[in-house]
Amino acid sequence: MSRQEILEKLRSLMARTGPGKTEWAKVSEADAIAALGIDSLAMLDFLYDIQQEFGIELDPRDLVAVTTVGQMVSFIGERKGA
Amino acid sequence: MHELQRVVVTGIGLATPIGFDEGTVAEHLFAGRSAIERLRCLDASLYKSQSSAEVDASSFASAIASRGTRPGDRTSDLALIAAGQALEQARLLPATPGSPGEETCVLVGTGSGPSHALQESWQTFFTQGGKSLRPTTVPRCMLNAVSSAVSIQYGLKGTNYVIVSACSSSTIALGIAFRMIRSGDARRVLVVGSESMFTPALYASWDNLGVMSRNADPSRACRPFDAQRDGFVLGEGAGALLLEERGAALERGAALRAEVLGFGESSDGTHITRPSIDGQALCMRNALRSARLEPDAVDFVNAHGTATKANDATEAEAIRKVFGARTDALPVHSSKSYFGHLLGAAGIVETIASILCLEHGRLHANLNLEEPDPVCNLRLTGLDRLERSPRVCLKNSFGFGGSNSTLILARPSSSPS
Repeated sequence: MSRQEILEKLRSLMARTGPGKTEWAKVSEADAIAALGIDSLAMLDFLYDIQQEFGIELDPRDLVAVTTVGQMVSFIGERKGA
Repeated sequence: MHELQRVVVTGIGLATPIGFDEGTVAEHLFAGRSAIERLRCLDASLYKSQSSAEVDASSFASAIASRGTRPGDRTSDLALIAAGQALEQARLLPATPGSPGEETCVLVGTGSGPSHALQESWQTFFTQGGKSLRPTTVPRCMLNAVSSAVSIQYGLKGTNYVIVSACSSSTIALGIAFRMIRSGDARRVLVVGSESMFTPALYASWDNLGVMSRNADPSRACRPFDAQRDGFVLGEGAGALLLEERGAALERGAALRAEVLGFGESSDGTHITRPSIDGQALCMRNALRSARLEPDAVDFVNAHGTATKANDATEAEAIRKVFGARTDALPVHSSKSYFGHLLGAAGIVETIASILCLEHGRLHANLNLEEPDPVCNLRLTGLDRLERSPRVCLKNSFGFGGSNSTLILARPSSSPS
């Protein structure tokens, strides 16, 4: 799965989880996740959707260092490749 | 003890099978046009009752999108749409710090709350196991998810909670809101009724109970007080009313849509589904006493009128018990042949229909009333106009569990006391 494909899927998952007014199609790898308006509760749903969508298991503790969308793309890519 | 305050309606919101705005709803009501069709959102061939009153899918989707929210549980979404309209009409948005809107309380009446979220969660649990449940299952499925969604979406800082009492839910919510304001404990309460039970499990449960019409023709399926009635037709939707202390409403220049004069409630204390003449009559009398009115002051009754054999016969007898000889001249109608039975949301949506009747000076007809049942010995309205403009309405809602509720409403008066 390419980085672009992962990014596209993340955009659609964030659109399901995040605030309705954000333009999710414009989210880029450089964006900080915390700045996208996804609060801590919505983040739980976001991580759940990632696990369902990509068929991987995540422990939120593994994601402490993941702060940008690009880092999330890399993290998922590594897990998918593992 | 506080002096009793007067309670008025300053905002109305609707998300119903016959319309998402009051103009469209009034048009349907006074033209005698129902929303009942063949069941579309579920596989009708699986059920004995195959009629329904569903909200229009495109109106629903655009109303949700225009609020800037993403679709969530259907009951909560319908509540958000109706609530937003009522707040806008009452000119209480945005509810910024220190604004009149900010202190607004939220009471939601619903029979089964976020039923679609619950269905989804149970389905996940039984097909994929507990580990696959969303981490946010609890806040999605708690019954007060509906009232908290309204409070959070619009920034309302008064109390918020849900009242669950089957088909009386939203009428009781209106009654409690009325008491909160009348006693001086609150100035503004946003009351919402919302329900959507079109999930396979819930629809099958109603179907198996045998209380829904099995008439093969959807346009003739819901026939309150008619001799050929054979049950209700399930509907979905929401209504919202902003109740406000009259002085505060006038002070900020709000338009008064109606006044709530009284509220009564009672329990049958006899049976979980079978209605009781005595219980319903006691409820109506309690409402009249609360409004300090004699039965003669009531100009029409918006009945619970579900079109089940038991309800309509019982309610007709109860009305006669309360109104005596005047019953022969007292117009009675039911709104359920238009909206379907909205269960927990029925009371508030039908209260809004009553307010529209008070404002338009006419009553909507009892649809499909072709052969009035002799056991429903009432003056049932058709498409005719009344001799005089109605001023006072008595609105009944009765729920499983023997939970009875009655509101008394009036056209707003300009008198200061």
